[in-house]
Amino acid sequence: MKIFNIFRRSLFLKVFTLSSVISIALIYFLGSNLYVRISSGIIDEKISASLSEGESAIQYADYRFIISSLNRSTDLVGLVDEIVRSTNVSAKDSGREIAFFSSNGEVIQSIPAVSTSNFLEPSSIPKSFRTQVQKSGELEWKRTKLRYLSGEELDGMVIGQRITIPRTGKYEMYVLFGFDAQQRSVDLIGRSMWGTGFLLIALIMITASVVLRQVIKPVKEAAEIAERLTSGDLMERMEVRGRDEVARLGTAFNEMADTLERQISRLENLSRVQQRFVSDVSHELRTPLTTIRMASDVIYASRENFDPVIARSAELLLSQIERFENLLADLLEVSRFDAEVAVLSLDKVDIVALVRRAVDDLGLALKERESQILIDAPEERLIIDADPRRVERIMRNLVANAVDHAEDKPIDITIKSNEGAVSISVRDYGVGLSPQHIERVFDRFWRADPSRSRIRGGTGLGLSIAREDAQLHGGEIRVWGELDKGSNFVLTLPKVQGTSPIEPAISEIPTDSSIS
Amino acid sequence: MTSVMVVDDDQDLAEMLGIVLNGVGIEVDLVCRGDEAVDVFRNNPPDLVLLDIMLPGMDGIEVCKQIRKQSMRVPIVMLTAKSDTHDIVKGLEAGADDYMVKPFKPSELVARIRTRLRRVGGEISSNLTIGDLAIDIVEHTVMRGGVEIPLTRLEFDLLVALAKEPGRVFTREALLGEVWGYRHSTDTRLVNVHVQRLRAKIEHDPENPTIINTVRGIGYKAGNTGPRG
Repeated sequence: MKIFNIFRRSLFLKVFTLSSVISIALIYFLGSNLYVRISSGIIDEKISASLSEGESAIQYADYRFIISSLNRSTDLVGLVDEIVRSTNVSAKDSGREIAFFSSNGEVIQSIPAVSTSNFLEPSSIPKSFRTQVQKSGELEWKRTKLRYLSGEELDGMVIGQRITIPRTGKYEMYVLFGFDAQQRSVDLIGRSMWGTGFLLIALIMITASVVLRQVIKPVKEAAEIAERLTSGDLMERMEVRGRDEVARLGTAFNEMADTLERQISRLENLSRVQQRFVSDVSHELRTPLTTIRMASDVIYASRENFDPVIARSAELLLSQIERFENLLADLLEVSRFDAEVAVLSLDKVDIVALVRRAVDDLGLALKERESQILIDAPEERLIIDADPRRVERIMRNLVANAVDHAEDKPIDITIKSNEGAVSISVRDYGVGLSPQHIERVFDRFWRADPSRSRIRGGTGLGLSIAREDAQLHGGEIRVWGELDKGSNFVLTLPKVQGTSPIEPAISEIPTDSSIS
Repeated sequence: MTSVMVVDDDQDLAEMLGIVLNGVGIEVDLVCRGDEAVDVFRNNPPDLVLLDIMLPGMDGIEVCKQIRKQSMRVPIVMLTAKSDTHDIVKGLEAGADDYMVKPFKPSELVARIRTRLRRVGGEISSNLTIGDLAIDIVEHTVMRGGVEIPLTRLEFDLLVALAKEPGRVFTREALLGEVWGYRHSTDTRLVNVHVQRLRAKIEHDPENPTIINTVRGIGYKAGNTGPRG
């Protein structure tokens, strides 16, 4: 599995191994074919040469015996001996051996039943072959192994024919040849072919690896540079040498990187300009808004001196300016998140006290609404790393949202902690949320029911900002909701910064949920 | 009559500030350039300065530093269109006592100005000592071994708030209420920056404070009961 992975990851290894395997197979196939042809050629030639030599030796012996039949005084024992000994060069030294066998296996007129040259073992001639020769009368031959009394063995062949010794009986004469010299040449050829094969394979492997490196190096370089480009280093370029295909790859790659860099910097610039614009607009709006605000306050303060229409107008003016202020503040905050310039101003914060204070402050502002807010929190302090301004804003947004949708039913706030995190749930029992609502509840300016009156004139950015604030802390907000059963928002913050992932201490799904 | 110098390049806003402050019996001197503000302050020192950060001639932070060179006592409240931590902390470190982010409620501005101008410790007639410091409430001075340590009014108020109840732990929110007059705020940057500034002036080793001690996760307390005695 591991090796498989290595192969999958390295183009070099893949191509190198493939080309090596193919060349080894090819060389092995060609080499063994050639070897078989050469070696069988050499042996075949030796066989045909031996056949004619053996035939003439047998014919000569036959001739001698025919001659001897004309002369009654011939010493047959001596003649056999002479013929057997006529081979003064052993088959071991590319010569031949001669053997005489009495066909019925008996000693007749002192001629031995078996006589061989150079201490050849009679068993070198297989029994089956003897039977074949006895039956045939023609010249027969067979591959065999020559064995000597000394224990030596060598590959070779045996040629045999029936022969009749006058006044004595039927004999078989065998001429044996060793293929030792041929075998040696064949072995030598085999060895040199192995050597050449190995050398060839090594050469092919070296060539392949050199060529592969040449081709793969720029590819690898391109891959590395592409990776660096991906990780944001837009200045990376490939080095282009020569005018070959690899150079073309490099040029094309660099052009791609140029285009990419241009596009990205254009987009970056655009979004920077856009964010800058939003931020500038918000700031520029603040000064005149301050003047308007103060002016309307002055007018509002003396509304009792005006007639009722103008007095009511002064009230509306002030409340709408307040709404406008909130919207502007939220827009500015959103633009800060979008520009990724929002930073945490961390402190050690007692989250229980902070939540109580946030609810108290909001309670003053929400006097006109009937919802009762109940807090279930631990007695002791819960100190966490947090930006108090942001956490208070999250709580304000979550509680305000709950009050807006609670339909004057009570709101439960629960604070719990586990090892690494603190969770605060804000539960209402009002209109609730459908699954489709839950998906969109953090979207900017989204409202569950557009026809619903804007009770408190919320900006529509509160929950979106709350979630951004939570994420800036490495925390999260989870939501549960069911239509007509209410909703539950659970804020979870890490106790110590940088310890995410965190596990919420409270599940967003309440115990009275029909789904759970 | 109390006089306030308003430094803002927006004429209309400055005029409106004048109307609002005149309405509550505060005399207003309007200046619209940063460089002029320093001269006006020298010739006719007001009781309090309202200072915009973005100004022609010289920016508000520099103006703040220049004014602090002339007067430790005068309260300075920055007016800023930016609520970014960076700008506010820079202003506070330059010597501003408080800041207001535009747009603000006129009533809030008036409340802040009043808080900055009131005399603290009115209920205490005797002098206080904390560590090796002698605080003279009436004279508004802090002495160490007969040498006066120059403090801004706000730093003095902060020190008195802590020193009059040694050992009591003040949360940052409590200090914000007591010293700055905030009722609903968790802007602890104000407290943190001023505690740092105060420590730099009165502690022997500001890195290991012994007069104003930090109580982790809660706030501060004054006195010899700190971890280092």
